[in-house]
Amino acid sequence: MILGTHRAPSDLGSMEPGTHLCALEQGSARLDRVAATFVAQGLAAGDQVLYIASEQEVGELLRVLPGNLDARQAVGTGQLMTSSFGDAYGSSRPEDLATVADGFRAAAGLARKRGFPGLRVAARMDPLADLLGSFDEVVEWERMAGGLQRELEVSSVCLYDAGALVEGQGAALASEHDGLAPDLDVPPIATFLAVDEPWGLRVTGEVDVSNRDLLHRMVQSRAAVVPRLRLDLAGLTFADVGTVARLRSIAAALPDSGYLVLAQVPAVVRRILDATGLGHDRLRLEP
Amino acid sequence: MSPSATHTSMFYGTDRDYAAEAGGFLRDGLERGHRTLVMAPPSRTELLRSELGNDADEVTFVDDSIAYAPQWNAYRVLLDFAAAAPDVRSCVIAEQRFGRRTPAELVDYRRLESAINLVFAEHPVDLLCPYDTALPSDLLDIAVHSHGGMRRGGSVAANPGFQDPLAMLTDLSAVAVPPVGSTTLDCTQHSDVALVRRSVRARGAEIGLDADVVADVVLALTEVLTNALLHGSPPALVHLYDEDGMWVCHVQDGGGPPVDVLSGVVPPAQPADHGYGLWLARQLVSAVDVGSNPTGTHVRLHTRRP
Repeated sequence: MILGTHRAPSDLGSMEPGTHLCALEQGSARLDRVAATFVAQGLAAGDQVLYIASEQEVGELLRVLPGNLDARQAVGTGQLMTSSFGDAYGSSRPEDLATVADGFRAAAGLARKRGFPGLRVAARMDPLADLLGSFDEVVEWERMAGGLQRELEVSSVCLYDAGALVEGQGAALASEHDGLAPDLDVPPIATFLAVDEPWGLRVTGEVDVSNRDLLHRMVQSRAAVVPRLRLDLAGLTFADVGTVARLRSIAAALPDSGYLVLAQVPAVVRRILDATGLGHDRLRLEP
Repeated sequence: MSPSATHTSMFYGTDRDYAAEAGGFLRDGLERGHRTLVMAPPSRTELLRSELGNDADEVTFVDDSIAYAPQWNAYRVLLDFAAAAPDVRSCVIAEQRFGRRTPAELVDYRRLESAINLVFAEHPVDLLCPYDTALPSDLLDIAVHSHGGMRRGGSVAANPGFQDPLAMLTDLSAVAVPPVGSTTLDCTQHSDVALVRRSVRARGAEIGLDADVVADVVLALTEVLTNALLHGSPPALVHLYDEDGMWVCHVQDGGGPPVDVLSGVVPPAQPADHGYGLWLARQLVSAVDVGSNPTGTHVRLHTRRP
């Protein structure tokens, strides 16, 4: 973390939306690793993640993403999107930063429309200096991007190859960000992945006070698009009563035509439901 | 008819005594148009059925292996029964089989019999707790001190041995200090709860507990620890140790609002997002101690060792 930054995240999973991170690493391999960590944690937290990178860099990311994230399914549901630098930012210098802002705004809106609680972006930034013409313009861009992302609550990591920077440039870039992205991947205790057919999500791992807000915001984001959803709990190994009670509240607040199906319900959730009687007509257990 | 609850004990030495006294209690209730519930072992239920004859059809019987599994579940059975017809008075017989009891379970049973005087004080219910005179003296002692009335020969007299329930519960909430040699786990962040679960699962398996039992302990501990993190002040500590045949998971936090002696003895009245933790813990482990002093809030979860 950079000293003096006030928005540096303690972990990527529960990072405050709108956090603008950067990575200044020597060489592509290290940048690949930081990108994979950021993308993996964003997907596990249920957010949509956009990776802006070359075809080769995207291929490398898909190769190193942990197996439990099922990168192919994440691409299939659109939870993980990839884009080349040119497609994302254009091939000529943008006349007006406002058009870039509009692009960001549209992407964030689309993420919510597709049932994701938020959008995170990881971008390889090395082509940016060529596009904008000078390093000073890059710094200017980052300042604009930081403010815009806070406003739109889009978190990002800007990935720079430190080998291509001259002295002083790294510090100048870092000061336009909220902190440095970690390259050490501490796997989250649960992952929440979108499922399209049937509409809903798949939960694996353990859900408790440390991460149940992530689950609930994702369930609510999915329910906001289609209020009939299925939670595949086959991989859920623990949940506490606060998690189950909130799922019941979400189901109770759905419209009459809505429902929340709990599928492959593990013993611990049945135990909680039996003991507390926290049932609801719209909270259905699939046998 | 009094609108408030009565809590009465009776002693019996023979089946005939039991049938006459407990059966008479139910018959009196039925004659007055009261609803009747019996939570008892099958042997007692049979005696009551033959004593009451056709009148037994009017009585709701719940086997003690259900009503008292675990013993705090009896409150919920009572609440559910009362809620079905809140304006009609209920006559309830409450008795469970007493097998081997550890000291911690006995203390919790004393709490159950004491707290019922407060929890159901405003409910229109007459509770009768039959005690076999062959029971050990520590159980008979509970009969003498926790019941406002004593039934004998068909009539109820005030019980001179009755002790103030609030004072008794306060006495029973004294804080125990973790013994030397306990394992202590530090839990300051929300993410530490998962690490504590991992340690406790490993320890539970190591001492030979069934996987189901370990799962219940882990859930109960998660609830209590979550309360400590959300409502107490840091750090939250988990001490693990053995005591009197029990495996104890002892959660200590830096202190918070004073703990009500009745907290968590009944579930939230309406479905809610919060407020289940301590109550759920009581449904999952053999006995739960709750107390606070200047060293913080302490909750001890007791599990029988194999």
